Amino acid sequence: MGSVARPAAATPPRRSRAAASAGFIDRNAKWLFPLPALAFVALLMVFPILYTAYNSLTGWDLGTGKPATFIGLGNYATLAGDGRFLAAVGRTFVFTALAVGVEVVLGIAIALLLHREFRGRRLLTSILLLPMMATPVAIAMVWLLMYEPTAGIVNFLLRQAHLPTPLWIAGPDSVIPALVLVDVWEWTPMVVLIALAGLAGLPSDPFEAARVDGASGWQVTRLITLPLLVPTIVVATLLRLIDALKTFDIIYGMTGGGPGFASETLNIFTYQQAFQYFSFGYAASVLIVFFAIVLGVSLLFTSLRRDPARPVDEQRPVVVEQPSGV
Amino acid sequence: MRRSFRSSLALPVLALLIAASCGPSGGAPTGSGDKPYAGTTLRVLAANHPWADALKPLLSDLEAKTGIKVNFEQYGEDQLTQKLTTEFTAGSSDVDAFMQRPLQEAKLFAQSGYYQDLNKYAKDAAKTPADFDLGDFSKASLETEAVGDTLTGMPIVVEAEVLYYRKDLLQSAGISVPKTLDELKSAAAKLTDKGKEQYGFVARGQRSPAVTQFSSFLYSFGGDWFDLKSKKATLDTPEALQAFNFYGDLLKNYGPPGTLNMSFPQASAIFAQGKVAMYTDANSIYQNMLDPTKSQVADKTGIAPFPAGPKGANMYNVTSWGLSMSAKSDKKDATWAFIKWATSKEIVTKTQSTGAVPGARKSVFETTEGKSKFPADWSTAQNASANGRGYDRPLVVQVQKARDIIGTVITTAIEGGNVQGVAKQAQSDFQALLDSEK
Amino acid sequence: MTARRAAPVGRRDLGTIAGRFAYPLAIVLVFVFFLAPFFWMILNSFKTPIEVISLPPKLVFQPTLANYENVFASQQFGRYLVNSLVIGVGSVGLGLVLGVPAAFAIARWDQRRLATGILLARIVPGITFLVPLFIVFRQLRLVDTYASLILAHTLVGLPFIVTVMVPFFNAIPRELEEAARVDGASLLQTLRMVILPISGPGIVTASILAFVFSWNNFMFSVVLATNRTKTLPVAVYNFISYAQIDWGGLMAAAVVITIPVLILALLTQRYIVRGLTAGAVKG
Repeated sequence: MGSVARPAAATPPRRSRAAASAGFIDRNAKWLFPLPALAFVALLMVFPILYTAYNSLTGWDLGTGKPATFIGLGNYATLAGDGRFLAAVGRTFVFTALAVGVEVVLGIAIALLLHREFRGRRLLTSILLLPMMATPVAIAMVWLLMYEPTAGIVNFLLRQAHLPTPLWIAGPDSVIPALVLVDVWEWTPMVVLIALAGLAGLPSDPFEAARVDGASGWQVTRLITLPLLVPTIVVATLLRLIDALKTFDIIYGMTGGGPGFASETLNIFTYQQAFQYFSFGYAASVLIVFFAIVLGVSLLFTSLRRDPARPVDEQRPVVVEQPSGV
Repeated sequence: MRRSFRSSLALPVLALLIAASCGPSGGAPTGSGDKPYAGTTLRVLAANHPWADALKPLLSDLEAKTGIKVNFEQYGEDQLTQKLTTEFTAGSSDVDAFMQRPLQEAKLFAQSGYYQDLNKYAKDAAKTPADFDLGDFSKASLETEAVGDTLTGMPIVVEAEVLYYRKDLLQSAGISVPKTLDELKSAAAKLTDKGKEQYGFVARGQRSPAVTQFSSFLYSFGGDWFDLKSKKATLDTPEALQAFNFYGDLLKNYGPPGTLNMSFPQASAIFAQGKVAMYTDANSIYQNMLDPTKSQVADKTGIAPFPAGPKGANMYNVTSWGLSMSAKSDKKDATWAFIKWATSKEIVTKTQSTGAVPGARKSVFETTEGKSKFPADWSTAQNASANGRGYDRPLVVQVQKARDIIGTVITTAIEGGNVQGVAKQAQSDFQALLDSEK
Repeated sequence: MTARRAAPVGRRDLGTIAGRFAYPLAIVLVFVFFLAPFFWMILNSFKTPIEVISLPPKLVFQPTLANYENVFASQQFGRYLVNSLVIGVGSVGLGLVLGVPAAFAIARWDQRRLATGILLARIVPGITFLVPLFIVFRQLRLVDTYASLILAHTLVGLPFIVTVMVPFFNAIPRELEEAARVDGASLLQTLRMVILPISGPGIVTASILAFVFSWNNFMFSVVLATNRTKTLPVAVYNFISYAQIDWGGLMAAAVVITIPVLILALLTQRYIVRGLTAGAVKG
C-alpha cells in the first residue's frame, strides 16, 4: 500500500498555531472524536425517549380529551389487563419465533448448498442481496398482488397443481404464516450471507482429519461444520430477532393487523393506539414496554453469546443494521 | 488529501442543510383589486381521492383569479389522518386547509380545537357573496359537518350505499333485481357456484372498513349502534344480532374466498373481474364497476337502491368528505377564499363532471354537466336514498376505536364464530367507550 | 468428456447420482424463490388494470408503458426520485462525518459503553421518534426542509456506519499508526493520511448500506415529509387511492423505487456482503 509510506515525509509538522491545535486534538481525541456523534444522538434520541417515558405516565388522549397530566403508572396497570395488548405480545413472539426459526434453518441450509465452487455462484450470491435491499413497502405490494386469493398467481399455481388454496393473508389462521413467508423471503438471504462468511472462515484442519477418517459428507456437516458454525448462527439469530420483533412495513402494508386482529403485532398495536385512537399516553406506555422487550431479548442473546472459553476481545457486542431500520 | 476528504463529505452536507432549511415564506394577504391575495401561498393537505385529483388541475385558475398559490399535498387516507394529527398535536400553524372525513374525525378534531368555525365566514355577507348560496348544500350534509355550533368544514363528497348487480347473470337465472334483503339472500344463493368460482355476493369484510357498509344492514333490520339519548350501546339487541348474522352468512356462504381482508378496493376488484353477481358498497365508487378500462363487466353492471330489510330500506346517505380550515392558520382570509372557490357551484360542477364525484350541491345535480357522468340507474338509486341515515358509523368521538369494536363482531360472523358471545363483549366494550365520552 | 463423466458413476452409490440431480435442482429452486416476486412485479408493471387481475394470469400480452407514464407524468415520481436521492446522499454524508471519527475512537480506545450508547438507536422502536422529532423540527423551523429528513435518516444510518467502521479500524495494524506518530505526525494527520486512505472499502460499504436504509425508510418519511420533500416509499402509497388499487401503476412504482437500489446492490455486491457480515464473523 503506497500511501502508507508517504504520510510522514509529505508534511513534516510545523511549529505553529496549527501544531498547537493539533497537540490539543491529540491530547483530547478520546472524547473529541466521538463528541459530534454523541451530541447528535443525544439531541435526536434522548429527547424523544424522555418525552415518550414522560407521556407514558400521563393520561394524554385526544379521543377522551384528557390532557397530558401525570397519572403515575395507570397506563401500565391498564396494559397488564388489556387482552388485545397481551394477544399482540404473544403474536409478536410467535411471528418472530417462526420467522427467525425458518430463516436460520433455511439460511444455513442454503449456505451449505452454496459453499462450494460451481458456475454462477457469484451471480447467485448477488441475487441473494436483492430481497433485503428492495424497498419493503414496495415488496409488500408485490406480495399482496401475488397472495390475492382469487386473482393471485400463488393460488392459481396451487389450483393448477390441485393443491389446497389457502386464504393467505385473508385468513385468520393463515395470515401469520403468510407474513412469515414474506419475511423469510426478505431476510433468509441475510442469514445465508452471514453463514457463508462464517463457513469461509472455518479452520481446515478438522475437515482434513475427518476426510482421513473416511467420514461421509453428512457426517462432516453434522459433527464438524455445524458445531464450528454455532457462534455465527448465534449472531445471525440475534440480528434477525431484533428486527423481526420490530417488523412494521410489510405487516402495515399488507394487512394493517387484520383480518380482525389476527396479525396485530406490538408495532402495529402501538401504531393503532397512537395514530388511529390518538391515545398518546397509552401508546407511549406500550412503546416503553416494547422497548424493554426488544432490549431484553437482545441482552439475553448477547449473554448467550458470551462464551467464557473465548478471550474477551472476541466478544464484542455485534450489531449490524439492516435496511428495515425502524 | 485534506481537501478532498473534507470537500467530498462535509461541504455538500453543510450546503445541503443550509439550502434545505430555507423554506418557502408565505406572503401576507396584500394587494387589492384583481388579485387580492397575490403572493399568498396556502398549504392544503388532501387525500388520494378522485375529488382531489379533479380539483388539482383547476388550481391554476384560482391563482389566475385571486393570486393564491396552493401547495396541494395528497396522502393516502390513513397517512392523511396521521399527518394532520402529528402536525396539529405539535401545534403546527403550517396547515391552512385540509380534507377530512366529518363522520370519522370531526368530533375528535373539534374537541381538540383544530377547526376554524366556518360559520364566521360562510354566513358573513362581507366575506361570502350571496351567489355562493349556502342553502344549495343539502341540509343533511351541513348537519354532518356541524359539531355543536361549529361548522367544521364545507361538504365536498356525499355518498349512499347501493346495490351493484350483474344484469346478465340475474337475467339468465330468471331473477329480478332484489328489492328486499330476503330476495338478496335467495338470489345470492342461486347465483353461487363455487366449483365454477362464481359467487353470489361480496361486500367488505375487513374489520374496520366493513363497519360503514354494514350500517345499512343494521339500520334496515331495525338496529342501531347506540341510543343517542340515553347513550346506551345496542350492539347485542335481537335486531343487531340478526343483522350481524345476516351479513356474516351472506359473505360466509355466498362470498368469494378472502372476504375478511377485503375493503372496497379488493371487493370492487373481484366484482370487476366478473366473479361476483352482487355487491353492496358506496355509490361514489361506481367507476370501479362501470369504467370499461377498470372493469371487465362494465357493460353488464346495474345499480339499484339498497334493498329493504324487515324495518324498511334504511341505507346510509352521508357526507363522506369535507374541506376544513385549520384554527391555527395565519392566512384565514385567503384560506376561506380557497375553500369558497373549491366548493363554489362552478368548481363543484367541474369536479363532479370530470372526477365523477358526487358533490353536496343540489343545484349541480340539476345541470346537464353535473349529472353527465352518472348513469340513469345511479341517479334513481341516489334519489331512493334521499331520506337515508346521515351516519354510517357511530356518532362518537373515538370513532376508530368504536369501529374496531364493532368490526370484531362482523368478522366473527363472517368466520362463523360465536356471534352472540362476541357481540356481548363488544356491547360492554362499546358501552365503556360511550361512558368515557360522557 | 463422456469418459470423464462416466467414470465416477461406477465408483459412487445411487445416492450420489440422485445427489447430482438434486443439487442443481436445489440451486434452481433457491434462484426461483428469491427471484419470482421481482419477475412478477416487473411483468405486471407492463399490464393494463384489467390484465393484471385477469385469470389465468397472462404471460404473453401486449405490454403497455401507460403505467410508467402515469408514474412519471401524473404522479411526479421524478421529483420524488430526486428527493430520495438528496436525502439519501445527505444523510450518508452527515452520517460519515459524525460516525467515522466516533468509530475510530471506539476502535482505538475500546470505548464499549460509547458503542452501546450509539447502538441503542436501533433497539428503540421507530414509532417512539415520530411525534417528538416532529416537535423538535418545528422548533428548529426545519419542517418542510430536506434537513429534517436528512437528520432523521441519519439517526437510522449512524449506528450502522459505526458498526461497519469499528471492525475495519480494528483490523488496521496498530504499527501503521505508530510508525506515522514516530515520524512526528499528529493524530489528525495520521488519521487523514494513513488510516482513512486504507479504510476506503469500509467507508464505501457503510455508505452504500446507509444509503439503502435511507432510501427504503417509510415510517419517518411519512410523518416528516411534506409535498416538497416527499420520498419514494411514501409516494408508492399514492397508488392505493381512495377508489381502487391501481395494480399496474403500483407495480410500476415498485419497479421505479426498487430498481435503483437493486442495481446499486448488484454493482457493489462485494462491498455489501462484507458490510452486512462485518463483525458478525471474525476474519
